[in-house]
Amino acid sequence: MAHIEIQNLSKSYRVYQKKEGLAASFGGLFRRRYRTVEAVRGIDLEVEQGEFVAFLGPNGAGKTTTLKLLSGVITPTGGTARVLGHVPWKRENAYRRRFALVMGQKNQLWWDLPAAESFRLHQHIYRIEPERFDRTRDELTDLLGVRHLLSQPVRELSLGERMKMELIAALLHSPDVLFLDEPTIGLDVIAQYNIQRFLRHYQQVRKITILLTSHYMKDVAALCRRVVVIASGRIIYDGSLSGIVDRFGGHKVISLQFTSGQIPADLARYGEVLSEVAPRARLRVARNLVPEVLAGLLARHVVEDVTVEDPPLEEVIAEMFSSAEKPTVSQLGQVPELLEEE
Amino acid sequence: MHAHPSYFRVFLTFARNSLVRDMTFRGNFLIDTFSSMSWVFMNLGFYVLIFHYTPMIGAGSGWGKYQFFLFLATTLLVNSLVQMFFMINVDEFSELIRTGSLDFALLKPIDTQFVISLQRIQWSSLGNFALGLTLIGYSLFQVGALPGPTQVVLYPLYVACGVAILYSLMIGLAATSVWLVRNQSLFDFWFYITNFSRYPMEIYRGTFGTPLRWFFSFIIPVLVVVNVPARLLARPLYPESAADWGLPVFTLFATLASLLVSRWVFNRALLSYRSASS
Amino acid sequence: MHALAATWWTVLRISLEERLVYRGDFALSTLMRFLPIVTQIFLWAAVFSATTKTEIAGYRYEEFVAYYLLTMITRAFSSMPGLASGIARDIRDGTVKKYLIQPIDMLGFLLAYRIAHKLVYYVVALGPFALVFFLCRGFFDGWPAPHMMAAYVASLVMAFLLGFFLEATIGMIGFWFLEVSSLLFVYMLFNFFFSGHMFPIDMLPGIWGELVRMLPLQYLAYFPSAVFLGKVTGVELARGLLVQLGWVVFFIVTSRLAFHFGVRRYSGYGG
Repeated sequence: MAHIEIQNLSKSYRVYQKKEGLAASFGGLFRRRYRTVEAVRGIDLEVEQGEFVAFLGPNGAGKTTTLKLLSGVITPTGGTARVLGHVPWKRENAYRRRFALVMGQKNQLWWDLPAAESFRLHQHIYRIEPERFDRTRDELTDLLGVRHLLSQPVRELSLGERMKMELIAALLHSPDVLFLDEPTIGLDVIAQYNIQRFLRHYQQVRKITILLTSHYMKDVAALCRRVVVIASGRIIYDGSLSGIVDRFGGHKVISLQFTSGQIPADLARYGEVLSEVAPRARLRVARNLVPEVLAGLLARHVVEDVTVEDPPLEEVIAEMFSSAEKPTVSQLGQVPELLEEE
Repeated sequence: MHAHPSYFRVFLTFARNSLVRDMTFRGNFLIDTFSSMSWVFMNLGFYVLIFHYTPMIGAGSGWGKYQFFLFLATTLLVNSLVQMFFMINVDEFSELIRTGSLDFALLKPIDTQFVISLQRIQWSSLGNFALGLTLIGYSLFQVGALPGPTQVVLYPLYVACGVAILYSLMIGLAATSVWLVRNQSLFDFWFYITNFSRYPMEIYRGTFGTPLRWFFSFIIPVLVVVNVPARLLARPLYPESAADWGLPVFTLFATLASLLVSRWVFNRALLSYRSASS
Repeated sequence: MHALAATWWTVLRISLEERLVYRGDFALSTLMRFLPIVTQIFLWAAVFSATTKTEIAGYRYEEFVAYYLLTMITRAFSSMPGLASGIARDIRDGTVKKYLIQPIDMLGFLLAYRIAHKLVYYVVALGPFALVFFLCRGFFDGWPAPHMMAAYVASLVMAFLLGFFLEATIGMIGFWFLEVSSLLFVYMLFNFFFSGHMFPIDMLPGIWGELVRMLPLQYLAYFPSAVFLGKVTGVELARGLLVQLGWVVFFIVTSRLAFHFGVRRYSGYGG
């Protein structure tokens, strides 16, 4: 049985409208307009044990909502899901002690107290045996290099250090499934690197199942073999990272170095000129036109060096999102902040 | 790992963490204790002033000066306990559920209502609790009667019932903020309703008073919160007839019903919970 | 000047809108403010029932209830929610600088803002207030004589000004001490007890009564209500109004001085 099974999962919200102006406020006394935002629209997914899967997608695509559905924090409007055989939104204790959710920039530890105290609380809540608890805690704090910070109040730690503490707290009870929502957001490069390294190591050793959402390509490329791209509440791609370019890369970038030292004036008719610094130029050309363009260029000009490359991954993905089906509402899933009265 | 967390241990950790935190902000702790005690003295002063002009509140009610002080002390005990264990937590809960920040409580393998209701203990309310006990001692001495064994057992029980009823009312109301976004008036609502519980039920007489008394005894049972234990202690000193037992017995039912209803509302609210988007 | 008026009008409009957004809330919460009066009605009935006296400290039972209702009105004029704490906060987080850099008089601006807010509040609260007073008209002996009415209105306006400048002064203490909130709490406590909000000051025996009457707090709740009920007349009334005016002037001066010296001190820190 797969560790995570999702079938046709959907979640939509009602958001109330407020209009500007005094007259509209009076109108609001009697009648209220609302619109429905569909954050997740029927996704299907299966994840086996030990997989490290990334969720990629623009803001409001439904990545975080999906994680929250799988953690049981919110209940769906349709569809089913099972994690480790449990239905998450039933919030059974047996399920809750087997997984963990860590959200970037969100603090679950007691703010004014040392992290050690929050860990102690965890121990009691999860009923972890003392020796096992001590061992796990020491292991994790050593791996992340924060042993010396345990007795400092959490509010005095840097963002990176806090994130590490959050991760430790999540792993103290040795969960079988780990959900990470933008864990490295807002962190400096070194902290990001450390956390990536830690996650890779931990996952390799423990073989737990991890679902990660991130904006940062570096996280995804470094950690995950499998990438699920979500846009407008639907899964538009599920496979390897390199496969994305093959499937969605509609363009290639041709880099040229002209022997004459001069760039032809009519370069623009071959494709979109990305840069022109003599003697080099870069062109963006539709994939299927590449042979033709190359043939034309090489026939008319003497070229010293030519390369044909994929565009940066970010670009491919951005393009992928914009070509995805447009949502039915103007603002994607920016939901509960707009929650109006009643 | 065992199946259930040790609720007792978790509670002790909450209490300890809260104490550590309160002691870190020692200044605030002292100010809070001082100001809440000052408030009590002002109230006491007000009633001392009233008894300057009248021997009893409510003719024939039995609430003379020191009996009334016993009533006040009971109010003090109940309210200080509610403030100590629940007030901050329930207030924060309505804020958390409104802003969608309740996730952390839903992820742990422990009863969510337990975590929400007890995670912070306000130790500065201990001062008022002590004041309440002192006032009881002083008033009993003035009345000149020692409480018998029945009272010694039943009084704490009914104080606990009173705390439970108030708690249920609070958390039930707070839970509704998942459906009603702006709930400031809800908390004012709670304050004003419990305002009725601060007076002996005998004062509610007449065409308007009697239905009010009935409503707040049997529908929203705030009147039994302080009245039942206070009467037990003050007047009469020993319950004399079967009729006198009616209200205490009802209070036990009311406590149970309040706890069950509020838990039901709480769980319904969690089902409709919307987490804040990132 | 025109810009100021335009700003003031915008503030008024926005406040009104704000109130209306939380519409149900507002009507309900205004009515609920009167709930403690209900308990007072019963309490004082019970107090009188056990004694043969028809008057306590010169007030009959009905007058006690009328008194509490009247203090609600006076409080609607004299209470300044968020004024002192707002000033202290502005000082603490540096927002006060805008008053130093720009040609805006802080006190004047805050006063105008407060007037706008109060006006809006009166407009929207008129309904609930009128309803309650209508229902409770039996507790009143009718309207006071025209000259008493004039005195009453004057004392209400002065209560507003006194409340404003008194709390503004407290807020200014933020220039010298960071933690104004504890001081504020003590003030609120004393205010509740000694302003007559809790009981008519006439009830205080002997020396206590005299001491409390020396404080300006009585003009924030007790005095106007007592004037309306005709408990203060003739020479006493004239004297009371003058003393009230004196306190108003005193706090206008104090708040100005506090601002002046506070700003000097504040700028000295290179803010």
